[in-house]
Amino acid sequence: MKFSLVDNGNPSRRRVLRDAFALALAASPLANLAKAAEETSEEVTFAAGPRPLVQYPQKRPLTLVTTRPPHLETPFSIFNEGPITPNDAFFVRYHLANFPTSIDPDSHRLTIKGSVNTPLSLSLAELKALAEPVEVVAVNQCSGNSRGFSMPRVFGAQLGNGSMGNARWVGVPLKAVLEKAGVKADAKQVTFRGLDKPVLSSTPEFIKALDISHAMDGEPMIAWSMNGTDLPFLNGYPIRLVVPGYFGTYWVKHLSEIEVVDHTYDGFFMAKAYRVPDNDCFCIAPGTTAAQTVPISKLPVRSFITSVKHGDVLPLKKSVLLKGIAFDGGVGVNKVEVSIDGGKSWREAKLGADLGRFSFREWTLPITFTSKGATQLMVRASNRGGETQPLQADWNPGGYRRYVVETSHVTVA
Amino acid sequence: MKRMTILLCAAQVCLAGMVSAAPLSITLPPETAVFKPNALPGYPLAQQKCSICHSADYINFQPPGMSLAQWTGEASKMQHVYGAPISDQDVNVIGAYLAVAYGSAHESDADVQAASNSSVQTPAAPVAKVDAMALLQNNACLSCHALDHKVVGPAYRDVAAKYANDPQALAKVTSSIQHGGTGKWGEIPMPPFTQLSADDLQTLATFVLHQ
Repeated sequence: MKFSLVDNGNPSRRRVLRDAFALALAASPLANLAKAAEETSEEVTFAAGPRPLVQYPQKRPLTLVTTRPPHLETPFSIFNEGPITPNDAFFVRYHLANFPTSIDPDSHRLTIKGSVNTPLSLSLAELKALAEPVEVVAVNQCSGNSRGFSMPRVFGAQLGNGSMGNARWVGVPLKAVLEKAGVKADAKQVTFRGLDKPVLSSTPEFIKALDISHAMDGEPMIAWSMNGTDLPFLNGYPIRLVVPGYFGTYWVKHLSEIEVVDHTYDGFFMAKAYRVPDNDCFCIAPGTTAAQTVPISKLPVRSFITSVKHGDVLPLKKSVLLKGIAFDGGVGVNKVEVSIDGGKSWREAKLGADLGRFSFREWTLPITFTSKGATQLMVRASNRGGETQPLQADWNPGGYRRYVVETSHVTVA
Repeated sequence: MKRMTILLCAAQVCLAGMVSAAPLSITLPPETAVFKPNALPGYPLAQQKCSICHSADYINFQPPGMSLAQWTGEASKMQHVYGAPISDQDVNVIGAYLAVAYGSAHESDADVQAASNSSVQTPAAPVAKVDAMALLQNNACLSCHALDHKVVGPAYRDVAAKYANDPQALAKVTSSIQHGGTGKWGEIPMPPFTQLSADDLQTLATFVLHQ
């Protein structure tokens, strides 16, 4: 079920109207007709009508967010097909339009410079030979994934829930590369840049930074393989930074330069952008300004129902297998609960195969609905650290790190 | 071999050769999003300035109902944060257009009119002959073009070379600047520059063709 978020200047009333509309439509004979009309587009529209599916190189049709620089979302139904997101369905996001459309892996070099004993310029072959390859299954999620649901709405790429994906990454630990260069004692952060550049010299470069302790803890990796094959061009070919448990903004694509610095890097994309309020919830009251902010970092715990869409009509007195995914920033999901009565009662789902603490974790729960009518399905994940998802969404000016309990409006008939 | 090459070039992706580690090349799809037409002066200005760095859908998909102040704030962010080549005045003119075309403002609003008309309050001093470099600077041509290499659009030298033996060169290049276009040099559209006088258009086209 798709719904248009039409602005009427009153968020709470708008939401009520929206939900009422969704329920009324779901319960009506129009439901199937409406659904059929939507199958060529993605489930959420934000302003300019349904978002079209578009075909980009090495990709199946994906949901268009923006054309240049490209931002494409994974159609949500893909997440129901398994815990690994296929390469040709994996979301795409660039910040700056000036990136090459041809890359020669033989001439590509990764330079390591700054506060190191031995600056390096590594070919791909040298990088691959530098250390024993490591593998991790990890979620890459955009900081602004689901921003389009932020209430009140905020400027920025209006994302549904498809700017995330889970893949098996193979590469060498960043730590091994930094050790090869020899990090000097004054090192404080490590910065990363790729081949994507601004169109104008007056636009800030897309450079990200990790603290030296994080860069050296063995988790961040420089990956050349995604799900058993080369990275797709638009996902960072030939190498990208993989920062398990951290938002995608740090996963620099087409990685070409690493610099060890003796200070906290103060470039735009660290010091001004991708920041959240510096408090326990990383949130503030809508419309207010945060006194202090910090760079966005780890993924909060999140879960989705993938087997049911808004507006689906589910059968009465027949077992239905509800299915979905859950993930967090690496503590490890240990519980997924489902409510079929709008949050009044919860039952625990069965967790699927554990592909590692940074991966999507599938969950399933057979349900037999015993009463007719409209209801709300909700899913809530928790992790080993005791973190769980809130029932009410919080808010921050960037529309970042949404992790509220998701609700699917369905009808039992 | 030919058959293999065709297969390898399927779906917008080409491997340039048959060896194991050939360059990976892609072709991005055409840019089709356009700005909402509007009579306000911010419409052509937005086409010309915003398009330097991003497609129109960056704007089209923004939340509805944003106010004049909010849209002007976004334009100001583009100027101050992202280094867009726009003046304070341009910020107001573009903000007014965006707020009307995409937000909650109306063309007849007094503040929209005031912001939009700010551009005509300080007309450039009449100059007998504006030289090409000044025109290039004032119209942000060099944000998308360079003399000798492709930026967003083609290098002026490449344009000159393409039309070197074309008797209609001046008319064609003049028209491309005035009306914009797409497809001749790739899939990123050139916005129209209809505000330029016939003299200025000719000065620019002549300059380009002499590179």
